[in-house]
Amino acid sequence: MPLKNTQIVSAAQTKFGSLDMSLREMFAEAVDKATVEAGVPKSEIQAAFVGTFIPEMLVHQGHTAPLLLDYAGLRGLPATRHEAACASGATALRAGIMAIESGFYDTVLVAGAEKMTSVTTNEATEALAAAADDQFESSVGLTFPGVFAIAAVAHMQKYGTTEEDMARVSVKAHKNASTNPLAQFQKEITLEKAMTPRYVAWPLKLFDCSPISDGAAALVLTSTEKAKQYTDDSVSVIGTGQASASMNLADRRELTSFEASVVASKNAYKMAGLSADDMDFAVVHDCFTIAEIIASEDIGFFEPGKGAEAVKEGVTALDGDRPINPMGGLKAVGHPVGATGVKQASVVYKEIIGAAGPNQIAKHDTGIMHNFGGTGASCVVNIFRRSDA
Amino acid sequence: MTEKPTIEQYLKNIEARDFQPFKCVDCGTVIAPPSGTCYSCGSNKMEWTRVSGKGTLVSFTVIHIASDEFQEEAPYFIAIVELEEGTRVTGRLQGFDPLKPEEVGIGTLVVLDYETGKSGKTYLAFRPE
Repeated sequence: MPLKNTQIVSAAQTKFGSLDMSLREMFAEAVDKATVEAGVPKSEIQAAFVGTFIPEMLVHQGHTAPLLLDYAGLRGLPATRHEAACASGATALRAGIMAIESGFYDTVLVAGAEKMTSVTTNEATEALAAAADDQFESSVGLTFPGVFAIAAVAHMQKYGTTEEDMARVSVKAHKNASTNPLAQFQKEITLEKAMTPRYVAWPLKLFDCSPISDGAAALVLTSTEKAKQYTDDSVSVIGTGQASASMNLADRRELTSFEASVVASKNAYKMAGLSADDMDFAVVHDCFTIAEIIASEDIGFFEPGKGAEAVKEGVTALDGDRPINPMGGLKAVGHPVGATGVKQASVVYKEIIGAAGPNQIAKHDTGIMHNFGGTGASCVVNIFRRSDA
Repeated sequence: MTEKPTIEQYLKNIEARDFQPFKCVDCGTVIAPPSGTCYSCGSNKMEWTRVSGKGTLVSFTVIHIASDEFQEEAPYFIAIVELEEGTRVTGRLQGFDPLKPEEVGIGTLVVLDYETGKSGKTYLAFRPE
């Protein structure tokens, strides 16, 4: 049965990139944009669900939910942190959805943030590696990009996907982000540039990888009954799914698909009573270019092995039939880990209400977001629709 | 060989170049890396076993940018290998040039070996049969 009661009434993000702001300052900015600046008084918020991945290693700070809420002027509220590596933001969102849907709260804040440029690139890489299986993968020298490279090699072998196909995802991401003022990289790149052979983990090159970023995102969820109090532009949450898989890539029988993505999206579609064909667009977790290709297949937009062709033919472009990552994705907008899932929801929200500016897609009644964690061991998929659609 | 297998001992065995997977006492499934539960039958009773060391290359990558601990060894291969006994493990790959990864074929038959890196650690490794 589709969810009935949950509406997004505001959503916002800070600029992503290397920012001169601390974790709590970014968080407070995103919260202000999603509350007082969007017509939702902070006094209306009853609880907060916060996504952060690994502030312990990045800024030497644990227990972030009350800390961040305090700085954002929400001291006193129930504040809980949700951690699922790169899916931290979407697990916080899902907890918020369940809190509203159950009737437990009327209005809640969902927010995520990560400060990553406070440490060296090597230290940030080390922190990110904690999202993989330390004892059985990282200890052999496997890296985070390496895991996706292994998936890429399997996809290339099975379906004939090429390095150039992956580079096209990067070109598309940069093109879309070039008109997104909140993106880390607001510059188009050529296919030749995307193909620069600076390997991170063969066959993945520098331009196949999302960057290290600072940033925060926030949104407000409320009940259908209360939504009109805040805005005429609310977006319904009609389906949600979450699944987990083995941490260890070697334990997965299939390397060309992420099973948690398949299960989470099936469950979300089932709950919404819709199928992939009913989606106007998607926002997927493109931490690496191959991840977008695989995600576009896992959420059912394209048959297994057809994702690369869809990029090549422009089907997933801003003006294509099935746009994917219309604002520029993780690749070009940036990937402050804990913020990403909330930012993705914010992108779907903005596209649906028609507030995406130069990045507005033509058909935007129904959208899907896909946020996965680590090497695909966690996945959350949510489906949103215009309230009056 | 009769004691309850532990992760600590599993890792020590690799360090001693003596790879021993877990085996489900109830259904005989060979399990590596270790798992607390057998996904074939649900049992949590494990014992040590040995394998032939023969396997097939499932997929691989070449790590160019590594963590500090391994950077001196880069570029190096990481492979997923399906052992003859059915389980899959992650290890290094030998016998190929990491700067010519296109010469490596998925499906290549490999055998278990070990490699001690500049990090001082000993890893599971595989080389063409």
